[in-house]
Amino acid sequence: MVKKIKWANGYLWLVFILLYLPIFFLIVYSFNAGDVMQGWEGFSFKHYTELFADTRIIEIVVSTLLIALLSSLIASIIGTAGALYIYNLKYALAKNIFLSLNNILLVSPDVIIGASFLILFTVMGFALGFTSVLLSHIAFSIPIVVLMVLPRLQEMNQSLVAAAKDLGANNWQMLSRVILPVISPGILAGFFMAFTYSLDDFAVTFFVTGNGFTTLSVEIYSRARQGVSLEINALSAMMFMVSLLLVLAYYIISTRSGKNKKRGTRLVLPASEGL
Amino acid sequence: MSNEPTPIIEFKNVGLSYDDNSVLKNIDFELEAGKFYTLLGPSGSGKTTILNLISGQLTVTYGDILFEGQVINHVPVEKRHMNTVFQDYGLFPNMNVFENVAFGPSIKGKSKKEIKAKVTEMLELVKLGEYADREITELSGGQRQRVAIARALANDPEVLLLDEPLSALDYKLRKEMQYELREIQQRLGITFVFVTHDQEEALAMSDWIFVMNDGVIQQNGSPEDIYDEPINHFVADFIGESNILDGIMTADYLVHFTGKDFENVDAGMRPNERVEVVLRPEDLDLTTVENGKLVVTIDDQSFRGDYYEITAIDDDGNEWQVQATNKSKVGERVGLTFDPEDIHIMRFNESENDFDARLESYEDDDDNAKK
Repeated sequence: MVKKIKWANGYLWLVFILLYLPIFFLIVYSFNAGDVMQGWEGFSFKHYTELFADTRIIEIVVSTLLIALLSSLIASIIGTAGALYIYNLKYALAKNIFLSLNNILLVSPDVIIGASFLILFTVMGFALGFTSVLLSHIAFSIPIVVLMVLPRLQEMNQSLVAAAKDLGANNWQMLSRVILPVISPGILAGFFMAFTYSLDDFAVTFFVTGNGFTTLSVEIYSRARQGVSLEINALSAMMFMVSLLLVLAYYIISTRSGKNKKRGTRLVLPASEGL
Repeated sequence: MSNEPTPIIEFKNVGLSYDDNSVLKNIDFELEAGKFYTLLGPSGSGKTTILNLISGQLTVTYGDILFEGQVINHVPVEKRHMNTVFQDYGLFPNMNVFENVAFGPSIKGKSKKEIKAKVTEMLELVKLGEYADREITELSGGQRQRVAIARALANDPEVLLLDEPLSALDYKLRKEMQYELREIQQRLGITFVFVTHDQEEALAMSDWIFVMNDGVIQQNGSPEDIYDEPINHFVADFIGESNILDGIMTADYLVHFTGKDFENVDAGMRPNERVEVVLRPEDLDLTTVENGKLVVTIDDQSFRGDYYEITAIDDDGNEWQVQATNKSKVGERVGLTFDPEDIHIMRFNESENDFDARLESYEDDDDNAKK
């Protein structure tokens, strides 16, 4: 018995080491005094100072974060409303149709979504830039939020709604005082997931950035084509730290929020890799 | 009759069906203010449906529901002067005990001071005064139950609806809550409508019981009436233990079953009408073979604490349930005895109105005879 558990542990560690090795390799080399990833030439913060001197990169980081924040916020609102709408549909058929439409958006390749947005914006004569990126990020984040919020609604005890009505609450009071607080862990999970999706999205963004505007993933891609500068390593290391902090923040908020800690309903952060 | 107070709730020929499936049929009743009513029946009998019609969670297919004389068929849930204690309590998990109880008053826009006073009063009433700051998840089942009651009562309802509220509690706690609920009802003097499938609970708490089956009210009456004079096989079988036998009413006050004639106290039936005879196990006594009205063989006995539950078989092969204070021997032949008043006669397909009318007719005769 004991031996079995040890084997399982060992396997788990192996998987995690393999998964994290490339990232650590990248982070370690961001402190390299030399300019290439082949051969360690000593410790230095040189690439970090270069990075902070690069105003273009800083600007791109800021706009990437802004896009992520705005798109996930707006998607959380629209997605929650959508989940409520689907939940309240009376007919199972309509429910399934909406749910399938939602899931198709989730599983369809980013390239197709990106290309279709490009076509849409071009046909509409919409200028590509900040707004087009924001709109497309909102669009692909909504299904994620719906998918995170809907199970919460379905798990919710039906008598909560009945009780709120029974005690005299109108629809708005029922929503704001009972339903939203109860499903808030789902909304929070949806928000964080949408945020990470937006932050690391390349395929969709690549199609709709246009000329002037760019986000981090697109910028890193175009720089990498000219040979990877270790400045990118430094940037990646910092982004990794930001993600780590996000996960930590999410963990702290979800254990504290909703006063649910005693029931042990802590949420597991869903994998944030794009489909 | 006309100076009777308006009933607080009245059902006038109410029915409910889903598609072609009828759940309730021609329900008629009146509830007086300030009484403890129980809707008793097995699951699927329509008792919770009636409760949901009163609270407004469901709407009638036909008929009218009146509240203090006004038709309320289409008044939404939140506008009715009644509150519900839900079977699974439906407490808000995002709020603590105080906030849960305060929900109703705060929706109504009461001031902070009023809310605090009301919540404190209600928590005192259900003996949870110390628990205001607790989270719902920190409470036991019994305490959650009390919070649910306090929350419903905090809205000052004129009618409190209780949907099998005690079914999740253990036996001892259930007993305790039965007693307390009855006390709360009497203290506040408001109308309680209590739904349960537990006949013991119904008999212990209610002023008036409605026995339901198959979407129809089978019988209504005081606990004593229902227990002593069940109107049909279903009620006799559902409420308490009973021995039910086929018999023939040979004449008034004379019934024939198990091959013998017995004196009884029922009358007003056709001569030689086929009937069902009910004898409660606690009304039967064991005696010697010579003194017995019937002779039976003890088949089985089990100790129930305050009595022995005995199964005996008579010479015709009928099974008899007897509650005896003294121990018997399995296989022993003993006499079975009972008084004429212990025999209750049920006619087939007799309606409640006919039943009442028949009772009145011969009770009048008795009175006249005495004069």
